[in-house]
Amino acid sequence: MNSMTLSLNDSTLAAPTSRRIFAAYLAETRYELMRQLRNPGLAIPVLILPVGLYCLFAFAVGAEWIAKDANVGTYLFAAFAVMAVSMPALFGIGATLAVERDSGLFRLKRAQPAPAGAWLVAKIACGIGLGIISYTPMVIVALASGKLALTTAQLAAMSGALLTGTIPFCAMGLMVGTLVSGSAAPGYANLLYLPGCYLSGLFFPLPASMYWQTPIWPHFHLQQMAMHAAGATKFLREPILMAVASLVGYTVLFSAVAIWRLARKG
Amino acid sequence: MNNTIDSRLHALDAVRSFALLLGVAFHAALSFLPGTPPGAWFATDNSTNQFLGDAAFVTHIFRMSLFFFIAGYFGRLLYQKLGAGSFWANRLKRILIPLVAGWVILSPIISYLWIKGITRAFGGTLPPMPAMPAGFFPLGHLWFLYQLLLIYVVVISVRSLVARLDPAQKLRGLVDRAVSGSIRTMAGTFTLGLPVAAALMSLPFWIYWMGIPTPDMTLMPQIPASVGFGTAFVFGWLVHRSNDALAAIAQRWISNLGVAIVATGWLLHSMHLEPMAQPGLTKTVYALVFGVASWGWVLGLTGAALRFLPNYSATRRYLADASYWIYLAHLPLVVALQMWVSDWPLHWSVKYPFILVVSFAVLFASYHYLVRPTFIGALLNGRKYPRNSGRKPLPPGSTPSPASPPPADPINGGAVAQLRGITKRFGAVTALNSIDIEVRRGELLAVLGPNGAGKSTAISLWLGLIEPDAGAVTLLGGEPQDIARRRGLGVMMQDVEMPKELHARELVALASSYYSNPLTVEETLKRAGIAQFADRPYGKLSGGQKRQAQFAVAICGRPKVLFLDEPTVGLDVQARQALWKSIRALLADGCSIVLTTHYLEEAEALANRVAVIHKGRVIASGSVDDMRALVARRQITCESTLTADEVRGWPGVVDVSHDEARLKITATDAEGVVRRLLASDAKLARLDVRQAGLNEAFTELTREAT
Repeated sequence: MNSMTLSLNDSTLAAPTSRRIFAAYLAETRYELMRQLRNPGLAIPVLILPVGLYCLFAFAVGAEWIAKDANVGTYLFAAFAVMAVSMPALFGIGATLAVERDSGLFRLKRAQPAPAGAWLVAKIACGIGLGIISYTPMVIVALASGKLALTTAQLAAMSGALLTGTIPFCAMGLMVGTLVSGSAAPGYANLLYLPGCYLSGLFFPLPASMYWQTPIWPHFHLQQMAMHAAGATKFLREPILMAVASLVGYTVLFSAVAIWRLARKG
Repeated sequence: MNNTIDSRLHALDAVRSFALLLGVAFHAALSFLPGTPPGAWFATDNSTNQFLGDAAFVTHIFRMSLFFFIAGYFGRLLYQKLGAGSFWANRLKRILIPLVAGWVILSPIISYLWIKGITRAFGGTLPPMPAMPAGFFPLGHLWFLYQLLLIYVVVISVRSLVARLDPAQKLRGLVDRAVSGSIRTMAGTFTLGLPVAAALMSLPFWIYWMGIPTPDMTLMPQIPASVGFGTAFVFGWLVHRSNDALAAIAQRWISNLGVAIVATGWLLHSMHLEPMAQPGLTKTVYALVFGVASWGWVLGLTGAALRFLPNYSATRRYLADASYWIYLAHLPLVVALQMWVSDWPLHWSVKYPFILVVSFAVLFASYHYLVRPTFIGALLNGRKYPRNSGRKPLPPGSTPSPASPPPADPINGGAVAQLRGITKRFGAVTALNSIDIEVRRGELLAVLGPNGAGKSTAISLWLGLIEPDAGAVTLLGGEPQDIARRRGLGVMMQDVEMPKELHARELVALASSYYSNPLTVEETLKRAGIAQFADRPYGKLSGGQKRQAQFAVAICGRPKVLFLDEPTVGLDVQARQALWKSIRALLADGCSIVLTTHYLEEAEALANRVAVIHKGRVIASGSVDDMRALVARRQITCESTLTADEVRGWPGVVDVSHDEARLKITATDAEGVVRRLLASDAKLARLDVRQAGLNEAFTELTREAT
């Protein structure tokens, strides 16, 4: 073994090349994704539930309405697609981060010379990646069964909107993950998430008397954004800029809480 | 001390370049504002957008005040460093020459574009020119350099006056306290805007959107700008004077940003209701809230930068160097692009990013090839970089710029990690009480102590996870938060669970990716002795195997300093021996190691030096032999009629205590003492002799220490 000299100029302390930094980001993302996919408690419900529910509603509960009005098909698809892309972001990030903080791993990561923000990029990329894995079967089912009457361009625009829309849910996951302990994280995440699914009208159309409260839920804004992107003509309740601005606002709010909390508690 | 100052300068440099680069984005947005009257800007786009207008307004609230605030801070720093003569020579070169040369070169281009734009806006004919202000002179966007020079003149004159009137620094001491107090209590956020608010209120014709009217048409000093930016500059100057003002700014960043966001929200809301200031209460309130918003942003953004960007970064250094040139040169290019795209049948969301991307691409390229390696770079930033040096900064020395890269090899005196005069409290508990420990190059320092002694706190300080309340922490010659230092450390913490779904091999591969020159994964697995279970999920490993996997993660980056916090807890004898062997190999390789442990034999087997911490203090430190002597003591207990005082004087007795009927003796020569005990007291009963455990050693040491 060669003896090492102690100097900041030597290869150990030198800044890594940009290729190595890129590789570090990639490794962080890859292992984060592997972790989450290998955790059946997380992966199965998150990946199977949305497509299962969509099948139930599209083929059994709402089949007649869809046949009468294609806009209903778009509405239902957008609703369950919101679930598909947001669940992995929220539950994946929230639960893993909370566990990492509990288990001391987060402290260890802070001490290691990981590129700044690599863990964050990894978590967000992973949230989006799992969102794609969860969303793709829905697209296949919808297209194969003809329950979704959209042009390719409309579908592409909608998919783009949905996947971008995972970011506020990533931020929500970060917030939950920094606020609560590992064992409580899925519970609290559900407490925030499930009422939102119902009250924003994802599962069934809401009576007009309940419209006042829908803007509280990020789900609502994401569904509206997705439907605008798909060029829907009905069930639009807010202009697209409002939906985008609200989602940006929620991202900022959730991230701010997470940053504040991380800065104080680590 | 130097490190803290340097880290401040890195952060403030980042803020300054942010303010300047934001100016480019601001000007690029100006052709997209809805409802702009023709002729108000070079071009009006056919696709306008309210959001972009609002965003531009928000940046306009603070960007110039932020610039002048930082200019004030650096102004005093430079004045202190250079003295009056060199200060003026320096400012002449950096500010006056760019102002004059920039104006001579840029103003014909800008004027040409202006006439072309205005002709187009009025359907092909040049409208009659409005009345010009007194002392008309089209400074254009270079007004800020002129304004800066004016402020320098006034502030330096006042400074000399104050220095004469206040020789004992009484007044200035008072001001220093007021400055840091106003930041800590956030009174500054609410009062610093008062002067500019008063100036704005008095304007007969004030467009809310403009904020502080830009003094770009005349050489006559304008009241609102001079008051507003002058306040910012002076406060920056005073913040540099005060010892703890920057720390207070860093602490209050989130509250200041909160105030800024709320105030800005209100401003946007009111502006949409009524775009032009009407005399009366609304105008007064608007002016006041404008001042609050402006200072909230200035202090909040500066604080956030101090908090999050304290380290030297080559990229930020590059941006900071480039930003001055970019701001000086950007306007003609941005405007020409705005005029070019204004008729395109495209949405603003395509055109605005297009303008930004093209402008920044051209400006950065021009900086990189025409400015950075030439005399222009030397003029603007005080140094030039050789061509083809990429983004690597030159070593300092010749750099008069306030923020310089970390020195090349600052490790001195053989210490690779030091805690000096460290005190750390957690609430009412003092975990460390002004302790000094250092780790020398190539040695293994064992830190011993009972639970709660402060061992893990010491390690957390070295790892940069917590900050001391007092004292200085150095790691490899710098601050432990510096990522370059962290590349030289490896760590194995207590109570850490790695992700249970990943295999040991994957954990090592991930950790290796963080380092510049790690061992290969196979080599790490071999050295840590975990190759045989490297492909099993971490969650399925035994307690000892988990510790070994963590050890592998700690050593994969060829660390210069390795922190091992209780590494062998839960290991069986074989695994412990294997770990010791790996540790010895690392020492032979020149690695320095800090090891905390409960096991004395571990310290004996491995350590060059030992430090014992108890209740936050170092109560003993020395070689392993010193410790061995300490542990050679034995504890004798018995029931005896002899008193403690009788026994105390005997040879070989270190300490005696008496509780109830039992005598407790600590002895270096246990056999001799026992022989004499038996001889002196025929009724002696329940004799017990045992090796003094570490706990006894600690208790005793503590008693000796106090």
